[in-house]
This record gives sequence, C-alpha cells and structure tokens, in this order.
Amino acid sequence: MGVIFESEPELEEPYLVAAWPGIGNVGIIAVDTLREAVEARQFAEIEPWDLFYPHAVSIKGGKLQDLTFPSSRFYFQRVGGKDVIFFIGEEQPPSEERMYQMANLVLDVGLRFGCRRVFTAGAAVALIHHTFRPKVWAVPNTERLIDEIREYSHATLMSDIQGEGKGNITGLNGLLLGAARKRGLPGICLLGEVPIYLSSFPLSYPKASRSVLETLTQSWGIQADLRGLDSFIQEVERNIDELYQKIPSLVKDKIDQLKQVSHISPEEKEPITEEDKEKLMEDIEQFFGRKGKD
Amino acid sequence: MGWSKDVGALGAGVIDFVNASLKTEQIGEVEAKGFFSLSGVAIEEDVIQFPQSNFYCSEERNLIIFKSDPPVLEQYRFLNSTLDAAKYFKAKEIYTIGGIVSLRAHTAPRRISGVVNKEKLKSMLAEYDGLEVNIDYRTPPGERPTLSSFLLWMAKMRNIPTVNLWGEVPFYLGNAFDARAGEHVLDFLNRRLSLNMDLTPLREESEEQSGMIGKLRGQSPEVGKCIEMLERGIMLQPEESERLRREVMKILSQRRPPEWS
Repeated sequence: MGVIFESEPELEEPYLVAAWPGIGNVGIIAVDTLREAVEARQFAEIEPWDLFYPHAVSIKGGKLQDLTFPSSRFYFQRVGGKDVIFFIGEEQPPSEERMYQMANLVLDVGLRFGCRRVFTAGAAVALIHHTFRPKVWAVPNTERLIDEIREYSHATLMSDIQGEGKGNITGLNGLLLGAARKRGLPGICLLGEVPIYLSSFPLSYPKASRSVLETLTQSWGIQADLRGLDSFIQEVERNIDELYQKIPSLVKDKIDQLKQVSHISPEEKEPITEEDKEKLMEDIEQFFGRKGKD
Repeated sequence: MGWSKDVGALGAGVIDFVNASLKTEQIGEVEAKGFFSLSGVAIEEDVIQFPQSNFYCSEERNLIIFKSDPPVLEQYRFLNSTLDAAKYFKAKEIYTIGGIVSLRAHTAPRRISGVVNKEKLKSMLAEYDGLEVNIDYRTPPGERPTLSSFLLWMAKMRNIPTVNLWGEVPFYLGNAFDARAGEHVLDFLNRRLSLNMDLTPLREESEEQSGMIGKLRGQSPEVGKCIEMLERGIMLQPEESERLRREVMKILSQRRPPEWS
C-alpha cells in the first residue's frame, strides 16, 4: 500500500482539505464543489487494492478487462494566494485499522509538501428544521484555533451547542484530525448541520455543504463560484418538500416544533425533550416504513 | 478453488466431489485470524462452525484444491496468500468454480461459462463443447464483484493464468447443491485436467433432485404453474418467485446429503 505520484507540484505551506462520503454527503459535496470551482489538478492517488474491496468488474468477450476500486485522489491548486491540497476519498476503508492507515497516508502526503493546516468536512446531525439555514459546527484539534473559530460567521463551537463542548466525530473526518493532532499538525473539522429526521435517509443534503463551504472560504479569505451547488440545493429542496407534503400531519407537527429550536444558548431550555425526540424519530421511521410494526 | 457460500453451493459441492473421488489429502490451510470475524462463532444446523480455508492435494493427478469460507476482512491479503501458495506449488493454471443465478427452469440445460485473464486461455476453452466463452458483463450499480473476479484480476497482476468457471443455477434451488450444474462443471474439469472421475453418483443425485421437484410439481398446482411459466420463458412476479423458492427449498432440505459431501 502506498501513494502513486503523477507529479510533484511545488507547493508553499499548503492547506490540506479532505473529505469522504458520509451522512448527507455533506463533506464530500462541499470539498468536491470547491475542487471543481478552482479547477484543482490531480497529482497523486492512494493505491486502493489492500484498502478496499473492488467496485466493479468488467468482462468483454469472456476476458477480464478491468477491476475498478474506490478512488482516493489528491489534487492541488493555488487558491487566493494560498496553495491547497484537496483529498477526495470515494469510500472510507472498511476496518478501523485500515482507516487509521489511510489517515496517516493522507497526512504523509500533506507533510511531504510542507502542509501547515488540515481541514475535514462532514455532517452534524442536529435538531433543526429543513427550512433553516444549517449552521457549521467547527471542531479544532488544538486549543490554539478556538479564538480563530470564534471569528467565523455562522460557525459554532461544540461548547456553544452542548455546554461542555463534548461529543464525538465518527469516521475519517474525525480520525484524520486526531492523527494530525498526534503528529503536531493543527486542523479543523467543519460539520454542516443535517436535520435529524433526514439523517438516516440516503439523501444528499447540499444545503449543509454550502454552509461548510461558506465557512471554509471565509477562513481562507477567498471567493468561489457556487452556482452549480445552488441549483443542486434547489433540486434537493424540491424533493424534500414533496416528501414533506406526504408526511401525516401529526408527524409534521412534531417536525415543525424543531423550528423553535436554537443551539446558540446552551442554557436555553429546548422546546422538545429527549423523549419527544425519540418519539419523533419513531414516528418518522414508521412513516417511511423502516420500523413498521405490522 | 471454490467458496463455501455460493449460489447453488456449486463451488463447495464440486470441490467436495473432487476431494472424495480423488481421495485428496489436506496439506495446508490459511489461518482464520485477520480474515474472519472471531468475536464469536456461527451455529448452523445445531452445530458450532469455524471459518475454514483448506488446501488439499492429489499427487497422482497433479492437482491442488482450495476450499474456503469467503473471507470477510482483508480480502486482498487473503487472496494474495492463496496465490502465494499457487506460486509455491508452481500451479500452471487456476480454475475457480462458482454459481450464478439463472431465471430459467431447472428442466432447461445448464449453461457453463468461462472468464479468463489471458487471451490464450480463451482459445483453449473454446475447444470444449458446452462452454460459453464470449460473455460480456459489468457489475450492476449497487453490487460488488465476486471474490473469484477479484482473484482473477490479482492473478493477472501476478501473471498466473486463471479461469473463472460459472455454472447457471435456477434461482429456486437457492443454497442446495445443484447436482446438474455440478455435473457439467465436473465434466469439463474431467476433460481439461484428465481427472478420470466417475460422475455416476452425481448423475444419480441430479436425477433424484429432479424427481423430487417433479413430484412437488405434480402435488402443487401453483408450483407446477410457476415452473411451466419459466419453461415458456415467462418471468414470474416476485411473490411467485419467492413462493416457488420456498416450496422447492423445503422439499430439497428433506433430502439426505450425498455421500461425498
């Protein structure tokens, strides 16, 4: 297992931003949109065969043509006077051990080019309504970045949401930053909020990706053309609205209670309780036939 | 090579038959640790199971056999280990055996196809009657390639001539060993590798299976209708397919296992 380099770009203390598929594909949509917007060029790829099970086999005339694997590719571009390495993983490896190996391989590439800061992007399952603009939970891997995060508009620290600033980040979005912390590389995980009742559906949620991108580009001091993402957002919104119209009014009433939820003040009493939350999820799952009792 | 979990139990069934016919000896194994979940054990038919990946040998026929449970972890490393063994034994060619689901009736002739990783193997296979050697295929979205396809690719990387042999198994035979498909595969192996195995027990098994399904067909008009539709090339509705599968599996599960298994 290793990294295949197509070229060795000359980069100056680049940022590294990485994403993999996850809930609502929030992170990967955000990072891939930016990668396309700035026309970043591929320069390296992680060898996939011992990290992943193959995607597809292609046979022609009885002879094996090809076996394709999930890709894990590095791109680079100079963005707003800053060199950036983009990493897009098509899939997360299936075991913890392999995930940790991948995290370190990604960091190896970053450090080889003198990387000074790592970003990952993903989803935060939140008690929000889908008509709301999702906030971004920003989680640094060093205390030194907390003050910087406080300057981001529309981003929030974990302590602003849950008082003690505790929680966990599953998958490589978190693990990469943990491994980066171990190796002395500062970084921030940006998590776009996804409504709790949509989080278990195989549904992209690009509105949260847009929030992540706004935070990311603000922190880098750059502008990016996000018009393609906006039309995707509109398409998904239409689908969600159609789905929403089909929900029984009792369940819809429960979901609409989320319009009163605010994360900003931890002291503020939540308008719905944990019990309400569980009942809400049960009703929704039952409605969509995932947890039917018949 | 064959996997214990397979459509129509084809890989395992064929290998069990070869092992019994040629009286092979077990000569090695791949250690389960690292390739299978060992947080507990499975129980099947009242008995605790443990993952097995064994090599057998017939010196007389110059043949190495590998039968394994499909690894659930580190498949690349696992397959590399088996190819290491193939290299160690200076294997000239590798044949994997597997079943593919067919929507045709069990009364239709079974088709066998071969997929190769080297062009010269294709012309060799073309000399054998009843073997389809020109298939086109691409994994459908949402599905993954089989372990045998993964091995075929890895063997290509290591320059080991390999053939995936696929036998069609009517969908309603489920996990029961499809003796008729097995017979076709073994007939090919007999010819190709000069194994001189007597396939009579397999033919008897195949006839017994067909007889049982035929009897069920006579007793159950619904089963009879479904099979007749398949024979006429008419697709069944999902619920009809499921009912047919259930009924046939029920009757085949009452059958005692063949002596060689």
